[in-house]
Amino acid sequence: MAHVSVPMYWRTIPQRYKLIGYKCKKCGAVNFPPKGVCKQCQSSSEFEETHLSGRGKVHTFVLISAGGAPPEFAEQEKAGGQYPVAIVELEEGPKVIGQIADIDPKEVKIGMPVRTELRKIYTEEEVIRYGFKFVPA
Amino acid sequence: MMAVGISGYGIYIPRFRIKREEYAKAWGSFSAAGVTEKSVFGFDEDALTAAAKVTRRALESVPMEADMVTRFALATTSAPYLEKLLSGTVLVSVGIPNSAFTSDHTSSTRAGTEAMLAAFEHVMATQSGKAVVAAADAPKASMWDAVEHAFGAGAAAFVISSDNLIAELEGHFSYASEHFGERFKPKDDPLVRDLNVKKFAEGSVVRNTTSAGSALLKKLGRKPEDYQHVVIQQPDARVPVTVASRLKFTDAQLASSLVSKTLGDLGAASVPVALASALDAAKAGDRIMVISYGSGAGSDALSFKVVTDKKATVRVQADTERREYIDYVKYLKIKGAIQ
Ligand SMILES: [Zn+2]
Repeated sequence: MAHVSVPMYWRTIPQRYKLIGYKCKKCGAVNFPPKGVCKQCQSSSEFEETHLSGRGKVHTFVLISAGGAPPEFAEQEKAGGQYPVAIVELEEGPKVIGQIADIDPKEVKIGMPVRTELRKIYTEEEVIRYGFKFVPA
Repeated sequence: MMAVGISGYGIYIPRFRIKREEYAKAWGSFSAAGVTEKSVFGFDEDALTAAAKVTRRALESVPMEADMVTRFALATTSAPYLEKLLSGTVLVSVGIPNSAFTSDHTSSTRAGTEAMLAAFEHVMATQSGKAVVAAADAPKASMWDAVEHAFGAGAAAFVISSDNLIAELEGHFSYASEHFGERFKPKDDPLVRDLNVKKFAEGSVVRNTTSAGSALLKKLGRKPEDYQHVVIQQPDARVPVTVASRLKFTDAQLASSLVSKTLGDLGAASVPVALASALDAAKAGDRIMVISYGSGAGSDALSFKVVTDKKATVRVQADTERREYIDYVKYLKIKGAIQ
């Protein structure tokens, strides 16, 4: 498993728990997750924090099944079967990657409206790593 | 005195269901009286993820921004950690200010109303205060133990304040006593035990619930027939019927809140989800009597008067009807019971 230390994970809480985005002060594009230099204008590195709505639409997705899951998600795949991972285009513009929960994987469709909610992502060092997943909106 | 009450509420019933027949196939019997099926959290859910969801739904129902909240109380008997502040996870994820006073109520199934009363005390002391109570639970016991059969999963949250009331708190009365052997977790074991001394346990349930309930009726000068709805702790679907009849409430008064028939025992979230179900059905002017129970033992009784026809967006019935049935093997896998 790609080891993520507790302090490293903690630093990503604004993104994982709350979807804090970073709005470029020059061009207005919302960067998520944070970037050193705005990925839109490629020139500004000044941002202001903005709380994203968590709402968006499925841009594309794949179903992860036996053997395809990264080690930290293997237990989830064994218990629950295949699960969808999607790129979602948020209302505010950024495209973000995340699992889609609370749905029969066969029912996931491109374009379907989703929103984020808190879920258990995986457990490492007996510490539950919470973060957002998408669910049907 | 200023009126305080419920200004908004939100519920969540997870999608997975298992039917009593699945238990009957696996074990030859199903021990939860009156329960036909029950709800089950997904592999990636727990009391905190469900609490975050219902907190957001309750705030949206008002609607109120999370940064207005000054008090947050969490209730569960299935905390994902035995030691660690639990409410902080929910507070950060929902966006409640870090300066809000939070409390975790975890030691019995009475925790849901315990948290509600803590929230009411805050709002009565601070008129501008806005409290949120979230109760989320999926009690856990050994698969070998019959007490496990009833255990379901669900959550409800309430916004408690003195503005925009849906239901006004008319009064409350609590009763605590010493009982043991019924539903407990020994030190160093996270699984619920029950010595299964049925008559003794039923004596405790009846004594605590009826003592709190009848004292509150007396305090308010009311009779059972003054209420359109009665909400009682639901370790199964039979206990609330027994308690209701002891207090001279009818099955009709119990009908709007009897969620355990299809959701099972929701632990500390039992009364909160059942109260939300009664609120879904209530009309302005209706009265709701609420009586919780936690083994060990104690009960809280609360009386509400419904003052508007406003409802939460997500109804208990609608979330209950959204379901996917699983078999017992999948249930064991999701519960992590196969190591
Ligand atoms: Zn830019």
